[in-house]
Amino acid sequence: MIIDNEGLQTMVVVGNQMGLHARVATMMVQTMRKFASKVTLIKDDMEVDARSVLGLLLLAATPGSRILIRAHGPDSKEAIQEITRLIQDEESD
Amino acid sequence: MKSPINTVMEKTPPGQITLENDINKILRGVGVSGGVCIGQVVVIERLATDVFPQRILKPEEIPAEIERFEHAVQTASERLTTIKSHITPEHPLGDHIYILDTHILLLQDRMFFDGTREIIQNERQNAEWAISDVVSKISAAFETIEDEYLKERARDMHFVGERVLRILMGVHSESKIHQLPPNSVIVAHDLSPADTAQIKRETVLGFAIDMGGRTSHTAIMSRSLKIPAITGLESISRQAQTGDTIVIDGSTGIVILNPDPDVIFRYRQRQELYKKYQQSLMAYGRLPAVTRDGTKSVRITANIELTDEIELARTHGCEGIGLFRTEYLFMGRPDLPSEEEQYEAYKQVIAHNEPHPVTIRTLDIGGDKMAASINLGHEANPALGLRAIRLCLNRKDIFKTQLRAILRAAVYGNCRLLFPMISGVAELRMTKMVLEEVKEDLSGEGSAYDPAIKIGILVEVPSAVIIADILAREVDFFSIGTNDLIQYALAIDRVNEHVNYLYDTLHPAVLRLIRQITVAAQARGIHVSMCGEMAGDPLNLPILLGLGLDELSMNALAIPMIKKLIRSVSMDECNELTFQAFQMTEAQEIHSFLESWIRERFPADYYLDQS
Repeated sequence: MIIDNEGLQTMVVVGNQMGLHARVATMMVQTMRKFASKVTLIKDDMEVDARSVLGLLLLAATPGSRILIRAHGPDSKEAIQEITRLIQDEESD
Repeated sequence: MKSPINTVMEKTPPGQITLENDINKILRGVGVSGGVCIGQVVVIERLATDVFPQRILKPEEIPAEIERFEHAVQTASERLTTIKSHITPEHPLGDHIYILDTHILLLQDRMFFDGTREIIQNERQNAEWAISDVVSKISAAFETIEDEYLKERARDMHFVGERVLRILMGVHSESKIHQLPPNSVIVAHDLSPADTAQIKRETVLGFAIDMGGRTSHTAIMSRSLKIPAITGLESISRQAQTGDTIVIDGSTGIVILNPDPDVIFRYRQRQELYKKYQQSLMAYGRLPAVTRDGTKSVRITANIELTDEIELARTHGCEGIGLFRTEYLFMGRPDLPSEEEQYEAYKQVIAHNEPHPVTIRTLDIGGDKMAASINLGHEANPALGLRAIRLCLNRKDIFKTQLRAILRAAVYGNCRLLFPMISGVAELRMTKMVLEEVKEDLSGEGSAYDPAIKIGILVEVPSAVIIADILAREVDFFSIGTNDLIQYALAIDRVNEHVNYLYDTLHPAVLRLIRQITVAAQARGIHVSMCGEMAGDPLNLPILLGLGLDELSMNALAIPMIKKLIRSVSMDECNELTFQAFQMTEAQEIHSFLESWIRERFPADYYLDQS
């Protein structure tokens, strides 16, 4: 994890064989309810809010794609860890 | 069974109607869930929401219109929550019910919710018009996605928008889907996941719909419900009428409307056949994997990555674990697993499979698989970078902890060590040296461990194939990792959609590489196994036998079918087939050859397993 003036950030690879699909996106938005931090996911030149299920799906993060997670706020470390886990998880439908 | 109907079926392109008369009207779609059913059509009609009121609001009407929209969203959300609450975790769809949560989240999503409110506010469009605009815009964004599954998610947005529109327009047609008469076959233009969730298996035999493909949630859910389903029929909702008799063959994607008694009779037979086939297949799991002529016995093992997969593997008839992927212990967590934690996991798998062998692959991380606890930094070319055994030799602390745990757990049964991605002898010797150091440490401490543990390498780098004769002198066994081997040999990134069409398991180069490995292993008298996806595909089975594999390790679900095939073929015919395949020059040619070979000998399996 890197800390800079934009908050915490880390690069992860999508582990799920269907990519960042509906189940993962749904779990992510639900998970974000626990946190106060702002978390964004960046892939190529697209940046989306981890609280938007549409945004997450439109990110079109296929298996193996790299995603930069950026978090800003009081619980950004925990938020980044949980989001990382969801993205890397290899389980699938 | 060559009847006029069969002839027509073979020639009919998807979605086309072939016979003009009302009897035996045949439609072809995509079979998304296997099996045969015969029942009575119930057409589920939806009031078309593509015709909606459209008007520019007066400024003073805006607040009330926004409230009307918000209220409709609230109602839609409550309705979805109610549908969801009727589904218990034990329900066959329990596992898919998250999709209703996804729909609830879509209702609340800023892009949809705020987006619609803004259009009502700024463009002064009425709610129905605004929703329709927003849904179209979102759908257009999904259209640009190349991934088939993610692209399909536009349908989910569409279903959600439609639900709100129906509420706004006062059409409360939650349809009658949850209260249908017995023996119903649902016919519809489209079914939303919420509709599918309300299907009762006691009354609904199957369904046939106009829209969709294999990756729609409706298709995924129908497979869980284990009822036959066909999508992509284009016009069935207009062709069929409630009360019509209908035959659905989910394995072939064929629908027959108003079948005559002959056709019904034949499909009843096929239905029985399918049921018996499914039951009989499981019985093969318990039988030994020996060829029909009794000359070759193959060990059939399972690939697993979690300890809770042991039971499934056992019920499907595995004789040990051919590949235990240990990465899962390291992934999805911020810290490294301790030696004790690893020891417990390995011990469980080894003890449960005793006396059968368990092959544990040491940490194969890096490349496309990452663990949070191991920081690799950015690599320009991860597939060729610091991964698998290279990473372990670079991080000996991690490697030694894992080896200690495996060596200690090995005393509980029959354990083999598998090193991934070995590319040369020096690297292998270095690995063996680390193993010896660990053994000495354990001896020094007086810990119990297996000093004679068998070691093998995962042959997946082309250089290892080229020097397989040298490597064979250094190890007890080879295991061929076809997924990576094919990727490296053909220089194709499997997840790159621009080149993955070139990824071909039956490329003559791949077959020659495998032959080189088995020849080197046999010359030295060492065991050779295959653990990639190639090993579990029935199509490849005869050629893998002909190539001389001693062990095939696969997804547990594939085991009964593979055992059945092994028991049905003779080594003579496999050798002959292999010889012929090696005369061919293109992957496609070999593929067609193997396919027709299997289809001729096992028409029933080939036909029934197409689901």
